[in-house]
Amino acid sequence: MKEKLQKLKVKISSFKLKDMLSFKNLPLRRDKAIDAASDKDINTSFPINNNARELHPPVQLMVISRIIERETAGARSLLLKKADGTGAAWFRAGQYVSVKLKIGESYVTRPYSISSSPRLTKDGKLYITVKENPGGFVSDYIMSKLKEGDKVLVSGPEGQFYHDSLRDSKNVVAVAGGSGITPFLSMAYAIRDGIEDFDLTILYGSRTEDSILFKSELDSILEETDNVRVIHVLSDERKEGFESGYITADLIRKYAPDDYSLFICGPEALYRFMEGVVRELGLPARRVRREIIGVSGKMVSSKDDRPETFHDLTVIQGPETFHIKASSRETLLVAIERAGIMAPAKCRSGECGWCRSKLISGDVIIPEQNDRRRRMDKTTGHIHPCVTFPAGDIVLEVPRGDMPDD
Amino acid sequence: MKGKHYHVHMAGSITELPKFDVVVVGAGNAGLMAAIKLQKAGKKTLIVEQHNLPGGCATSYVRGRFEIDPSLHELAAVGSADNPGPVRRMFNDLGLNVNWVQLKDCFRAVGRYSDGSPMDITMPCGKQAMIDAMENEVPGTRKKMEKLFRLFDEINEGLGYFSDGTNYNLRYALKHYSNMLIVGSHSCKIVFKALRLPQKCIDILSTYWSYLGVDMGRMSFLHYAMMVSSYMEEGAYIPAFTSHELSVALEDKFRELGGTIWFNCRAESFLFNDGKVCAVRTQYGDIRCKYALANVNEDIVYGRMVPKEMVTSRLKKLSNARKQKYGARMFTVHLCLDNTADQLGIKDYSIFMQGTADSEKEYANIMKGMDSNSFAIFVCYNVANPKASPDGTCICSITTFGSPADWDNLKSEDYASFKEKCARKLISQLKEYTGIDLEGHVEEVAVATPWTFARYLGTPEGCVYGHETADWDDIISRNLQVGKDYPVKGLKPIGAGGPRGDGYSSAYQCGELMADMVLRELGEAAV
Repeated sequence: MKEKLQKLKVKISSFKLKDMLSFKNLPLRRDKAIDAASDKDINTSFPINNNARELHPPVQLMVISRIIERETAGARSLLLKKADGTGAAWFRAGQYVSVKLKIGESYVTRPYSISSSPRLTKDGKLYITVKENPGGFVSDYIMSKLKEGDKVLVSGPEGQFYHDSLRDSKNVVAVAGGSGITPFLSMAYAIRDGIEDFDLTILYGSRTEDSILFKSELDSILEETDNVRVIHVLSDERKEGFESGYITADLIRKYAPDDYSLFICGPEALYRFMEGVVRELGLPARRVRREIIGVSGKMVSSKDDRPETFHDLTVIQGPETFHIKASSRETLLVAIERAGIMAPAKCRSGECGWCRSKLISGDVIIPEQNDRRRRMDKTTGHIHPCVTFPAGDIVLEVPRGDMPDD
Repeated sequence: MKGKHYHVHMAGSITELPKFDVVVVGAGNAGLMAAIKLQKAGKKTLIVEQHNLPGGCATSYVRGRFEIDPSLHELAAVGSADNPGPVRRMFNDLGLNVNWVQLKDCFRAVGRYSDGSPMDITMPCGKQAMIDAMENEVPGTRKKMEKLFRLFDEINEGLGYFSDGTNYNLRYALKHYSNMLIVGSHSCKIVFKALRLPQKCIDILSTYWSYLGVDMGRMSFLHYAMMVSSYMEEGAYIPAFTSHELSVALEDKFRELGGTIWFNCRAESFLFNDGKVCAVRTQYGDIRCKYALANVNEDIVYGRMVPKEMVTSRLKKLSNARKQKYGARMFTVHLCLDNTADQLGIKDYSIFMQGTADSEKEYANIMKGMDSNSFAIFVCYNVANPKASPDGTCICSITTFGSPADWDNLKSEDYASFKEKCARKLISQLKEYTGIDLEGHVEEVAVATPWTFARYLGTPEGCVYGHETADWDDIISRNLQVGKDYPVKGLKPIGAGGPRGDGYSSAYQCGELMADMVLRELGEAAV
């Protein structure tokens, strides 16, 4: 080896000493280049970074500029407007924002699909709609306590429930139940406004004609674009001009074109029902998308028939440690929020990973259908508290959330 | 980055934060490795990380039933179990079991040679296999390629000799490493020419230029020799469960050694006392320390996180001399497909597609923007790693560089359609160059742009590397001036912008190197 190396003779210029010297002088060359430069302050403002921040602000402070009561549907819509008068972050029709609230001593978040056109962000505006859920800690608060002029903190736009032309069919068949219409309303507006370019057929399930959310909004969109169709499906009522019963495979076949992507958004029962429908339709996985924000925690606890037990939960957050209680019926995230600890959370369905935390010790239950962790995390005890239930005393390290002060 | 928002539980709400010997800002590859080294040496070390998980670029995210690695194509300097390279050795020394998966070929390169003739060559790994393949494609190159590999050997040995921390003996160096000294100040372009390699051969050898982010006219040959010889001779590796596997393993090791790590804890600035760092101001409050390492781009550290009076004239001149030429802003479309690689006719792990193998022309085209850019790297992870995605599926990515020309002035409302257009162009290019047609199989798709990297990393222009390692600022020159580049007492930036250059292996090694320097300084301070 050595012998071979000695025989190697590389020649660059005619004097090898000149090359060696220029190697020796590399630091000199660098010094010269540096010395020749200006000593003005270092720039740290970059258009790409500013653009990224505008599109993905971590939080947006909004004012409730108007509340629209939708009593027959048991819901209220909030028109949120950026408090500083600037534009709100642009979003893909179908995305949601995570609303951050301080209720009593608790810091909580809830994800809500944006129901307005992305175009309104230019005026700093977003609409979200909240359905009443008697006894629901956050929905009760929003339904009865929030008033016009109040300030709320929301996240940037989040989620992947939108039409992606690289993945989805040009034809989308939307199955909506109740307030699950909101992302599709936004998509319909976006199509009308020329922001999105696909054909949308909405099969919208409501109990009765009176309880249909956004009936007049949808009707007016239909007048303005040919690319949106709405079929109302009433479960508790038979009426001229409406389909009745449930949204079955046959009903979907009746309205769907040959190739389509099925988008589903609605209450827990709808997802369960649609499982069979999707099987019957024989759609490949790439043609079915579900918006699951917020539903999964409930989906599990309502099925849970174990007796409720209470466990010690130790929460380590940076330099602080909190000792609290956690119910076997509620997710760890809810227990943490209830105790007034600021926890990060967005989707509340195990998907976004924003609440990812390290389980130091203790047994937990993570329902399989909600377990969307990274593969390594499953082996290293990292969990998503928004879909994790305690099965014993727990020690958990939780990153801190970005939450509103009083 | 300073929050002007109406949040949050800021500094001061905690009465007394613990003190640390060293605070490492950022749990990127360099930060993790440095923190481990410091904690292992008995320094009480804290990592503060702005995100809720470690790794920086070395991470993953889940879409549907797929887990996507946002950055890693292949890791150099791993080496086999029998003959470990520096990276495998680092992980072995820490007792970490990574599920390393070896890549069989170096690459397939498809497109056009610099003379315009069609190019389609697959390069196997290993010195001999590579020399054979080159001889087959460009006859008459065997002797010259052997010479090139001998030069790589000499350089790798020589660099070891020069950087082992002891004083070097000039006569010994002249005798054993004279070729390295001769080529040491020159670019790849000049050295390849001097070795009288045929242009086609140079074109093929240039394929890896993109992994260093600098064209062959400006890339130091020594840098190329260090990085590329490792890819070529030892073959490259990936972890079976994405880069997140590496980062979590390192985080766990750091914890096991007694280290502390706080997530969602962004550092705002460094505080000084008596001309020396005394604390780091973070979202959790001011944390006192004897030393701080910033796994943060230099321009952000000195331009934003350090009081103006502490930033020396040379630091400002260094930044301005670099003219904000940041390495590699990536554009990647990740495609999760509902067929296997076999079913889709994919045989190669990585395919480099290039309109021309002339890296200087290609670099200039890339900088002009997406319309003139004809460069892309296709990777199908399942070809090497059957565990990359669920049975019956595969996961692929197509990557090119993003130019500020496209991404500086784009409006939010045009972002989605522009990125879809760019992604579509890459998917069509793949079909045109290789016949591989992915249309109709996309189950999940995620597109990462320079905006995406800017969002998650906060690096200038969303670059994933530091400043370009080119010309007067190549890594050899940086190494020779390590003593001069860190004048602020008690603070060192570490990571992709450092003296080891960019890429995972470089960042890990940078972390170790800088931790060693800190230990020496802290040791001296104690005396």
